[in-house]
Order: sequence, then C-alpha cells, then structure tokens
Amino acid sequence: MTRAGMWAGSAAIALIVAGAFAVVAAGSRANAQANKREAPLETKDAASVQPWKRYAGWPARDESKYNTLGHLATAPAPTAPRPVGNQVIGDAANGGKLVADRNRGGSCLACHVMGQAGNADLPGNAAPDLSEIGNAGRTDEWLFNYVYDARVYNPETIMPPWGSHGFFTDPEINDIVAFLKTLKSPAVFKTALDDPNKRPAPVEKRDNLDAIENPAMWAVEKAQELWNLKSASGFSCNTCHSEPQATFKTWAASMPKWEPRLDKVLGVEEFVARHAKATTGAAWLMETDENRALSVYLHFLANGAPIAIDTSSAEAKAAIERGKVLSARKVGQLNMACTDCHGKAANHWIRGQWLGDPKGQYDHFPTWRTSLLAIWDIRQRFQWCQVNIRADELPPDAKEYGDLELYLAAQNEGLKLSVPGIRH
Amino acid sequence: MAEKPRLKLPKEAKKGDVIEIKTLMPHIMESGQRKDKDGKTIPRKIINKFTAEFNGKPVFSANLDPAIAANPYLQFSAKVEESGTFKFTWTDDDGTVISAEEKITVS
Repeated sequence: MTRAGMWAGSAAIALIVAGAFAVVAAGSRANAQANKREAPLETKDAASVQPWKRYAGWPARDESKYNTLGHLATAPAPTAPRPVGNQVIGDAANGGKLVADRNRGGSCLACHVMGQAGNADLPGNAAPDLSEIGNAGRTDEWLFNYVYDARVYNPETIMPPWGSHGFFTDPEINDIVAFLKTLKSPAVFKTALDDPNKRPAPVEKRDNLDAIENPAMWAVEKAQELWNLKSASGFSCNTCHSEPQATFKTWAASMPKWEPRLDKVLGVEEFVARHAKATTGAAWLMETDENRALSVYLHFLANGAPIAIDTSSAEAKAAIERGKVLSARKVGQLNMACTDCHGKAANHWIRGQWLGDPKGQYDHFPTWRTSLLAIWDIRQRFQWCQVNIRADELPPDAKEYGDLELYLAAQNEGLKLSVPGIRH
Repeated sequence: MAEKPRLKLPKEAKKGDVIEIKTLMPHIMESGQRKDKDGKTIPRKIINKFTAEFNGKPVFSANLDPAIAANPYLQFSAKVEESGTFKFTWTDDDGTVISAEEKITVS
C-alpha cells in the first residue's frame, strides 16, 4: 500500500472511531457532559441578520436626529419659552382636528381628555383632563409654549415636544391654542367606555396554553421537530439533550444572564442562536421562525417556575444598573422613555391602550399577538416600543437590549412563567 | 397546507349525551381582497368546505366564504348514541382535502 493509501486508511479508521464515539456519546452520557460543561457559543459572528433591516410593514421613518437606546443625538431642550405674545390667532376648528389626528405621533387625545375634540373616541388619561383649560386662566403664550415644548415649564414632563421636534408647525400650534381656549366645560362622553377614568383595565382571560385558543402553542410542536432535526454535521439538539422536559425545567426562568465570553447579557433567543451555531451548526438567527419556536419551547418547559435570575454578581448588578439608566433615557422624535409609560403613566390609558407596570410585562414572552397573527419575543417587543415612539430600533442582539431585559426580568422576579402568552 | 387540524372533543360519553366539538384548521384564509405592496391582488386561497361525519353519517357541514378569518375555528354540538369514529374534512380552494379522525366510546 502506498503511503497516501495508508494515510487514507488510518484517516478512515479515525473517522469510523469518531463516528462510533459520537453514537456512544448520544444519550445519558452526553446529557451528563452537557450539564457539567460550559455551553458552547458562537462568539465571532452576530446572532442577528447583518446589517439589521427593519421588519417589513413597520413604519420606515428616518429618526436619525433623535436618541436611540444605542446612541445620543437629540438636540438639547430649549431653556426658555418662546416670546409669541398673547394674541395667538388660530383656527379652532382645525385645532380640534389636529389634537385628534393619530397620524401626528398619536395626537393629544392619546393622553388628554379634551371635551368633544374631533368627535374622536377613547381618549387617554395619562395626562390631565383639558376639557376646561379655556377657563384655567392660562395665557396664550403659556399655552403655545406648553404645546411647542413643555420642557421649558416642566423638565420632568412626559409630554412630547410637539413643536421643537417638528410634529406641528407654528400656525398649527396657533390653531391648537385657539381650540384649547374654547374648552370650557367638562367632557360629555359618547359611551361609558370613552371615559378613561371609568374604563375597566383589560384582563387577559384566554387559556394561553390551549392549542385551539393560542396558535403560538403550535410552535411548541414545531420546536420539538427542530430539536430532533439532524444538521449536516449529523447532530441535533437531541444528541446532547435527550430529555429536555427534565433538563430545562427551570432554565428559561434563570435567563437572561451575563455571558463573560461575549461581554453582554444573553437572553434565551440569542443563546439559542449562538449555541445552535456552535454545536449542531444550525443557523437559527434571532427573529427567525425557528429561533422563536425554540424560545417558546424553552420557556414553555419552564412554565410554572418563578423567574429567578442572578441579581447579585458584580456583572449582573452593573448590567441591571445600566438597564435602569436606559429605561429612563428619552428616545425618538416623541422623546419618551420606558419609564414615562411604564412608570409615570403606568395604570393609565394611552388612547385605547392600557399601560402596565413593568412587573407583569415579561413572564408571558414570547407571546402570540392576535392582531398580527405572529409570535413576538421580548426583543421584538422592545424594538416596536422604539419604532412606535419614533426612535430607531437596535438589532435584536444589541447589548443595550440585554441590559434592559435583565433590568426588566429583575422587576419580574418571582412571577411564574406562562409561555406562550396570548395578547392583542 | 402542511399544518394539522386541531380537535377537542371528549373521548368518552354517555348514550344520548350532547357533546361539544371544537375544531381549528391552521390556514391563511387569503380572502382575495388584499393587495400586495406593488398593488397586485393576492389571490384567494381559503378552506371552502368543512364536513363532520360520525360512523359514516353526516353530522355537521359548512360552506366557508372569504369573510372567515385565518385559522378557521368551528365549534358545534353532536348527540352521540353509540361508540364510533368522527371524521372531519377540510377542503381547500385548490382541491386538497385534509381529514382527521377521533374515536369516542359511548356507554
């Protein structure tokens, strides 16, 4: 036999032995090994599509002038009111339409009851009722500047800077002021539900774990197929994790977690993307159907387990602190922070939507969205919060989202997982 | 249509019981009214017929029109007098028929 032949022969034997070892490794021995070793992770490549592209169907606005959770860009607030005089002249009828216009970043009615403004329905109550503002003794200049940029009167305001951030022109703000001056009597609501102070808070009563009620439950089955799906390398999740119901009984409730190899907090979705890549080779990037199905499944396996994350290590404490700071950062053209809606205005209505406390906003993710016929994980939820307040979103694996998710999870400690959720 | 239908009905019942049967067929139910982002109409593709039989005899059927939303959910009652097999079928516009069966023991 030639030297090349011998080399080929021994290589073939080595492969056969390696193959046999892989077969032997499957089963409980691999399970034990998997439990003791550090989980392999892809650390070089990104866990999401590069470059990140906003989801199809989401508003495509350029918000580069404004803060994101990743960088600062917003111009500083004005330091003094603009001197516009007290003879503001405007078209009150047009003003009444503008305050109800949902295309102008939500409109005033998102937060304020305003009498019969624009005949619109379901005003919010995140901010004071302005139905009698015309009798409140405010000057035209004060009213103009409050709409133009409320920060000159209240630096802690959650009100968007409608003028200085370009939502309304000066003539339009004049129209709004003219309309406000006509508001001199309490609102008369068309229906009982229209009064946000009497509207009952929504309660989710659907059985989220019933596959007939919640289409997201089909992802649990899909994930089990993926679990057993052998990649090109011949391995599947099942190769090392043949008893997921036992192995992952509480794992998802311990996430997200600081990952020293990547210097960031990893949530379940990013962990799945990186771990699959590094083991079976499967390319299950974040925000793909496969990744979401596996995230649903891994959370589902830990249903009933109370959220119990690491909050005591130095890295976790630092990440939580960063998350807390991020949750208070004003972002986007609407200039809002997480803590504006889910803090200052929590348990109030924004138009027809209820704003919840952070506690209770995490234990049901990933969730089915009935209005979209789609499963959303927590990262996509973060992204929509940003885009909706006219800020650019970050890629789903952004380290800032990791810090924010850890901070959110810390506020949900003790709540029991119930995944997939079902929501509007 | 690679999805499987979801069914919920009792496995056992007493003779003469009226049982509730819940069925869900994962399906996009494209109405034929929507347009894509280039303005072209997305062609209609719906489940247009559902049938339920028990031991070969018809129990319930429905003709579905485009107004029915995605993942059509149909719930109905049936009176059971004997043990046997329910057979359900869903027919797609393209002619495909998906069927499913469930046995019930009636004492």
